[in-house]
Amino acid sequence: MQTNFSLTALADAHVSESEKILRACVHCGFCTATCPTYLLLGDEADSPRGRIYLIKDMLEEEKPATPQVVEHIDRCLTCLSCMTTCPSGVHYMHLVDHARAHIARTYTRPLPDRLLRGMLAKVLPFPGRLRLALRVATVSRPIRKWLANLPGGAQLAAMIELSSSFKRRRPTRRLPGATVDRPRGRVALLSGCAQQVLGQNINEAAIRLLTRHGIEVVQPIDEGCCGALVQHLGYESRALDAARHNVDVWTREIENGGLDAIVVTTSGCGTVIKDYGFLLRNDNAYAQKAVRISALARDITEFLHELPLQDGVRTTGQVVAYHSACSMQHGQQVRDQPKSLLRRMGFVVREVPEGHICCGSAGTYNVLQPEIANRLRARKVTNIEKVKPQIIASGNLGCITQIGAGTRIPVVHTVELVDWAMGGPLPDVLKGCLG
Amino acid sequence: MSKIRFTEPNREILARRDSIINDLTRLVDPAGLITSTDECRAYETDALTAYRKMPLAVVLPKTTEEVSAVLKYCHDTGVKVVPRGAGTSLAGGAIPSEDAVVLGLSKMNRVLAVNYDDRFIRVEAGVTNLSVTAVVAENGFFYAPDPSSQLACTIGGNIANNSGGAHCLKYGVTTNNLLGVRMVLIDGSIIDLGGDYLDSAGLDLLGLVVGSEGQLGIVTEATLRILKSAEGARPVLFGFPSCEGAGKAVADVIAAGIIPVAIEYMDKAAIEICEAFAKAGYPLDVEALLIVEVEGSDAEMDATLADITAIARANGATTVRESRSAIETAAIWKGRKSAFGATGRVADYLCMDGTVPTGKLSYVLAEISKIVQRHGLRVANVFHAGDGNMHPLILYNANDPSQQSKAEAAGDDILRLCVEVGGCLTGEHGVGIEKRDLMRCQFDDADLAQQIRVRAAFDPRWLLNTDKVFPLDFRCQG
Amino acid sequence: MTDCYKPRDECGLSSAIKDAATAKMPLVVRGAGSKSAMGRPLGGYAMPLTTERMRGVSLYEPTELVIGALPGTPVSEIDRMLAKHNQMLPFEPMDHRVLFGTSAEPTIGGIVAGNVSGPRRVAVGACRDSLIGVRLVTGRGDIVKSGGRVMKNVTGLDLVKLTCGAWGTLGVLSEAIFKVLPKPARSLSLGLRGLDDMTAISALTAALGSTFAVSAAAHIPASIGSDSTTIVRLEGSEGSVAYGSRELARLWCSFGLPDLIEGDESANFWLRIRDAHWLAQPMDRSIWRLSLAPSKAPRALADIRRKLGVRYFYDWGGGLVWLAVVGADDAGASVVREAMVNTGGHATLVRASSEIRRRIDVFEPLPPAVLKLTQEIKKSFDPDRVLNFGRMYAGI
Ligand SMILES: Cc1cc2nc3c(=O)[nH]c(=O)nc-3n(C[C@H](O)[C@H](O)[C@H](O)COP(=O)(O)OP(=O)(O)OC[C@H]3O[C@@H](n4cnc5c(N)ncnc54)[C@H](O)[C@@H]3O)c2cc1C
Ligand code: SF4
Ligand code: SF4
Repeated sequence: MQTNFSLTALADAHVSESEKILRACVHCGFCTATCPTYLLLGDEADSPRGRIYLIKDMLEEEKPATPQVVEHIDRCLTCLSCMTTCPSGVHYMHLVDHARAHIARTYTRPLPDRLLRGMLAKVLPFPGRLRLALRVATVSRPIRKWLANLPGGAQLAAMIELSSSFKRRRPTRRLPGATVDRPRGRVALLSGCAQQVLGQNINEAAIRLLTRHGIEVVQPIDEGCCGALVQHLGYESRALDAARHNVDVWTREIENGGLDAIVVTTSGCGTVIKDYGFLLRNDNAYAQKAVRISALARDITEFLHELPLQDGVRTTGQVVAYHSACSMQHGQQVRDQPKSLLRRMGFVVREVPEGHICCGSAGTYNVLQPEIANRLRARKVTNIEKVKPQIIASGNLGCITQIGAGTRIPVVHTVELVDWAMGGPLPDVLKGCLG
Repeated sequence: MSKIRFTEPNREILARRDSIINDLTRLVDPAGLITSTDECRAYETDALTAYRKMPLAVVLPKTTEEVSAVLKYCHDTGVKVVPRGAGTSLAGGAIPSEDAVVLGLSKMNRVLAVNYDDRFIRVEAGVTNLSVTAVVAENGFFYAPDPSSQLACTIGGNIANNSGGAHCLKYGVTTNNLLGVRMVLIDGSIIDLGGDYLDSAGLDLLGLVVGSEGQLGIVTEATLRILKSAEGARPVLFGFPSCEGAGKAVADVIAAGIIPVAIEYMDKAAIEICEAFAKAGYPLDVEALLIVEVEGSDAEMDATLADITAIARANGATTVRESRSAIETAAIWKGRKSAFGATGRVADYLCMDGTVPTGKLSYVLAEISKIVQRHGLRVANVFHAGDGNMHPLILYNANDPSQQSKAEAAGDDILRLCVEVGGCLTGEHGVGIEKRDLMRCQFDDADLAQQIRVRAAFDPRWLLNTDKVFPLDFRCQG
Repeated sequence: MTDCYKPRDECGLSSAIKDAATAKMPLVVRGAGSKSAMGRPLGGYAMPLTTERMRGVSLYEPTELVIGALPGTPVSEIDRMLAKHNQMLPFEPMDHRVLFGTSAEPTIGGIVAGNVSGPRRVAVGACRDSLIGVRLVTGRGDIVKSGGRVMKNVTGLDLVKLTCGAWGTLGVLSEAIFKVLPKPARSLSLGLRGLDDMTAISALTAALGSTFAVSAAAHIPASIGSDSTTIVRLEGSEGSVAYGSRELARLWCSFGLPDLIEGDESANFWLRIRDAHWLAQPMDRSIWRLSLAPSKAPRALADIRRKLGVRYFYDWGGGLVWLAVVGADDAGASVVREAMVNTGGHATLVRASSEIRRRIDVFEPLPPAVLKLTQEIKKSFDPDRVLNFGRMYAGI
């Protein structure tokens, strides 16, 4: 597509990168058809092509973001379905990241919105604060209805709603690095911030799986949030800081003992870590190191898939609907490995109709855009229930909670099922329905 | 640089913008009325991005009644209307005018009825082409016209452009697969043409509406014929060391009375582009590739393929490769159907759509490369060869104004050539604004005058998609 | 002035029509006249204009599957020419001579004017689907072309479709170009006996909803022969027909064991279906042609039969019903049209005395908004109302 940037604008590395992306877009509209928000709203401005076009105009004209543009960019789930669809290879993710940073720089959000976003950014990436917040949320559940009527209250209410649907777990300390006798490999397992609080059992299962296969697992104590949450909220420099921090931590780990992979059990984080190389491309001190880190990042199912895998030991055969998280199938383009792992373990894996469409979780999206998120959840649950599964499996905590809040069918992480099949404990949510 | 003119916007309408918008708020659901500059901008163009115009406003109705109310209002107050489906027109058919309201069908995307006994499906016009097939696929049926843009383009847009696709060689284009429409005329009246039966009553207004590019009315519902999918389908790749050989092979297959489901052509430039995207296993060491698909039982496919292979070999085919799995078949078609988009990775392009008699394919291909070279540009060819529907993609740099005009000039020369050899300007993309000013090379004044008079029978005030199809200087004579 | 225009070419045709328009002399347009008794009788005197002298194949490219002909060319001549290259007009046009008891060979102009198709319509489309280009002379005397000789064409409005089936009310055809198909290597029929209408339509529906090379599907109820016949024709390559007939027999197992009908016997049977042979006699019966959704046809027929004495049969898998009405001074119009209102679809009174055709609508009455469009279109082609004025609808 034709672009119209001034030479001075193009001198900016971000702008020139975005210009390249825009030039690749031929405005064919293919991506509109697989965009969840366009599907629901039918407005070009809520489609990838429309957003790309609005971003183009905003960047070309070097103008501050307007409330309208912000509204449509905010509605984007960053599910990246559009990138899977695009035949032209338009890197929407980088473009929208740029746009979000531009919005953060040039647009002042209304106060309630600002407070909420600030709070999300200050709480979610920090396990300690998140624990505290959840306690508050449970207490405030009764005032949810009242909140919903205040400006910005709907989002807050949504957050409370969602967080009180999490099963509270006893906070545990970080898992110790699991050692094995004569390791055949050594990996760092990302702890994940929300996951430490809300889904401890996932990494426990992952560690059992890995060590069972002779992989030594380390969990560097000072590893921080991957930066995805702040990145999507438009806090670009904080995202970069998070990336630099983790690059340092893992680089140290590589230098002391070596790493075969950085294994991630939350695909949302995996997408961003795989992108560190790009994020830090203009930082001379970090560019090369970041590329190395990104190259090591693997989703747990990708990593397991490459191992000579042990056989399962339990009677399986249950019907599993596999829900591929957007960050998994679109962000990382990991599609078959999780399903083939489950099949290997003897589960009957069913594809979910409209499987490419987001469940509405999308990081903080279900808090910021509850209405769309709820509609997407309902649509997702209907589609999943069509295939009549006994269990739903997914590789991302956000999806697990989002979908879990809309159906009675138990939702578990893929590795929990694989671990169980290989002799690990039965995941809590399956107790009672499987034995 | 841009050669295509638009009519001067009507100042009086522009001045009334606020009151028009105000009136529209009473006619459509607020979520379906778009008026801010930023949001309207998303509608200023379609897949012919070289041209852009900001509309007065955009309405996205949810029902036929809303469409009717808007059209009646526009008719009564003299406001122009530009219908829009998914905005994938390659001819600028959905590009607005500054004094026009864009009426988009994207919110009208419900499936209304499926009837397998009578083999039809009734949908709203904003339903995408592929989702029609998706709905009936579970029962082994499909909707035949399959434009490469089928993932995104709407049935309403398909009807307006009489869209075709790779598989139309055997099954026909939109007009051959449409049983009926509900449409709204510019004065707001709602009419049904055809229905769930064959051959509509009275004059064939249904046939007239197909391909009328949104100038006769706005289609809000359509009844489409669905067909049972063949037991099996197998695409085969034939690689040729020369374009002439491939062109000749196409003509020979048709001449031999073999009608495969599809015969698609790609030249070297297109093969490289598509292979890079789809990893479909297209041969890279050939000058031209034919994708020929046959269908039926295994025995049938074997028999037909044997005949086609013999013809291809006789014309020098060096590679013959059958798809061996459903995954491979999907990749082969994905590559073909993504060809235009994938071209965007290498360059901007103008996509031509002239159709020529199949016997002239080789000659025209050779001439096209001469024309494009003469203008100092490059071309990639990827098209529906079986019915002679050519899609030369003229590659250029859209940020270089001189290249844009060269590309347009080359395009014009190619289309003139297509008409000269007995073909036409556009096989399936429509005239839009893109080919509007070339209409006189295919039609003389009497032809155009009659078309314009028919158009006026539906829309006497020329409010619907005003700037399209007919040369600007011609319309007053109607 | 002559008493009949017989132009030899397009120019002559144009000047004849211009003459007539200037003189405000209505014209009745004919090819060979095989269907002259169809449509509404024109009110008052109209000068005949015949295209029978404009004849000959104007373009034939067997390797491109296209043929073009002047309007007065007999269909048989085109068929012969195509047969030499083993090709055919796909839509299997009906020959109205059987119904009308006329003798002059039908011309291609008449086929186009009536959008005349036959049994294969259900598989490959109607005349209008094969017609890819026309030249015509409008009521203004203008020579207008639309479409062309290539299969795909969206350049400008599709006047080809509009002309096809307009019964010469918009313009007089001066050339028609068709896409053609290779003749199938093999053709045979499968027939079931003894089915009632409802069951028969289910059997035909199953066949048409299959992929077994079905090219035609009809049902002749017991009231016509001694026993009912439910029949489909399979066409294609040797292999696909052999395979299809095997598979179809299996698909039909719940309906009975089908007979295999081949060669001339099969061909003749389909000719009779095409030409509505069984209803032709006696000549004084009025004949209707109903187009409707197949699944609704048996019920519509049951309704009609309760109120009218009729003989009838189904083609197009039940989507086309031929009906001969016994007695009834309105040719059964009120009953037939009411049934159509209930089911959707349309009915054409193909044969009736001119007295009846003057009194009642021959073609399905149009809703007001569509009628208005039709009038405007007529006006745009033929403002002086010289061409077959009133043949389709009063005032058109
Ligand atoms: C990459 C790519 C590949 C393509 N491949 C093919 C192909 O293989 N074959 C093919 O035929 N086309 C192809 N096209 C062209 C295009 O997709 C088709 O013309 C399609 O039918 C347009 O549909 P749309 O919904 O996008 O309509 P739009 O682009 O929105 O509109 C097209 C025209 O239809 C009118 N219109 C839209 N909806 C209605 C309605 N409801 N009532 C009345 N008028 C209406 C508009 O005013 C406009 O004139 C391709 C386009 C792209 C970008
Ligand atoms: S699919 Fe890609 S090229 Fe097409 S409009 Fe979307 S982003 Fe642009
Ligand atoms: S990331 Fe998802 S929501 Fe955002 S534009 Fe792309 S497809 Fe739509």
